[in-house]
This record gives sequence, C-alpha cells and structure tokens, in this order.
Amino acid sequence: MVKGDLFSHEFFVSEKIYLGFIELFNDKNPLHTEDSFAKEKGFEGHVMHGNILGGFLSYFIGECLPKKNVIIQTQEIKYRKPVYLNDKLTFKAEVTEVFDSVNVIEFKFSFEKNNDKIAKGKIQIGII
Amino acid sequence: MELSNVILQVNDIFKEVLDNDNILVKYETTAKDVEEWDSLTHIQLVVGIEKHFKIRFTSSEILGFKNVGEMCEGILKKQKNG
Repeated sequence: MVKGDLFSHEFFVSEKIYLGFIELFNDKNPLHTEDSFAKEKGFEGHVMHGNILGGFLSYFIGECLPKKNVIIQTQEIKYRKPVYLNDKLTFKAEVTEVFDSVNVIEFKFSFEKNNDKIAKGKIQIGII
Repeated sequence: MELSNVILQVNDIFKEVLDNDNILVKYETTAKDVEEWDSLTHIQLVVGIEKHFKIRFTSSEILGFKNVGEMCEGILKKQKNG
C-alpha cells in the first residue's frame, strides 16, 4: 500500500448488529434503546452505539485490505451526526502516511450517509 | 539545526509518546535506560520522530542506531540531504 491509495466499503446497520452489540457489551442506555428518551433529547429515534462504527472499522482493517498480516495500533473517531437502525453507510479510507522503517501505515477515513459525513477519523496499523 | 537542539526536540517526543514528563534523554541514552521504551512504544517513537522532522528512515537505519544521539545525527543527516 502506498500514500494516496483509496478504499471504500458499504455497511448496513442491521438489527442483528445492533442487538448483538447490546448482547455483547450490555450498554442499554436509554439513548440507545428508548425512542421516547432519544426524541426528548432531540434525536429522530434511538441512536446506534458509536462503537458499532468501531466494529466496522475493525472489519475494514481485518478483511478489506490487500494484506491480512495487519494489526490496529491506534485509532480516533470523531462523531458528527447520529446513526440509526437500518442506516446504510459508505465507508471511505485513504492511505495518508507510510512509515517503512517500522512497517506502519496511517489512514484517514470517513463514514457517510447519503453523502453526509457522519463520522471521521484516523487509524494507524502495523504490518506484522 | 544543532545536534543539541535535535535531542531536545526528540526528548519532547519521548515525553509525549511515553506519557512521562520526567524523561530526559541524552546522546548516550538507549532503550535500557527508559522503562517505558519497549518494542511497541518504539514504533510510536519512530513514527513521532519521522512525522515531526518530516523525514523517513529505512528499517536498517533504525536498527543501526546504537543510542538516541546516533539517531539524532541521522535526523540531521536526512535533513541536510533533503
């Protein structure tokens, strides 16, 4: 991989993913589980957990890159807009830095919904 | 830029990456002298240094540095050679 390489992937926030996240991590905060609570706070309905996007990011690094010998070293996600159940998200990533001396690659990435950026961030991986 | 200045800037990177404001690296400092400097933090130190000085080392250059001072001399050399 070299600087400027581009990647993209489509993700769907399914009920299976949402319920699976709650089952695994037990975060039942009303923002994520109660429409009435979420609407009181100004959202359209119950909001998906932000770290579901972290799971998508893990999938991208683990399964979508041309190399399988990779490990996440650091990551940062900034959330801009809420994600709801059954949203279709477009993930885009670009290689921004390559450090051959220590086998490190950095990406910037974004999640978009209907061309609207809902989250963005950076991730650093090591080639192991 | 002088070597002493490079070492000072590298020291700031060590403090930031290793999250320890008490670190004071010198020319002869090696990984054995800094508790938090292990194989994983080593990667972040190199990445931080290459980013800060806008240079790129090769893996053999990194392996060849015997201490912080030699690495700082390597930084100066890279900067001189553009």
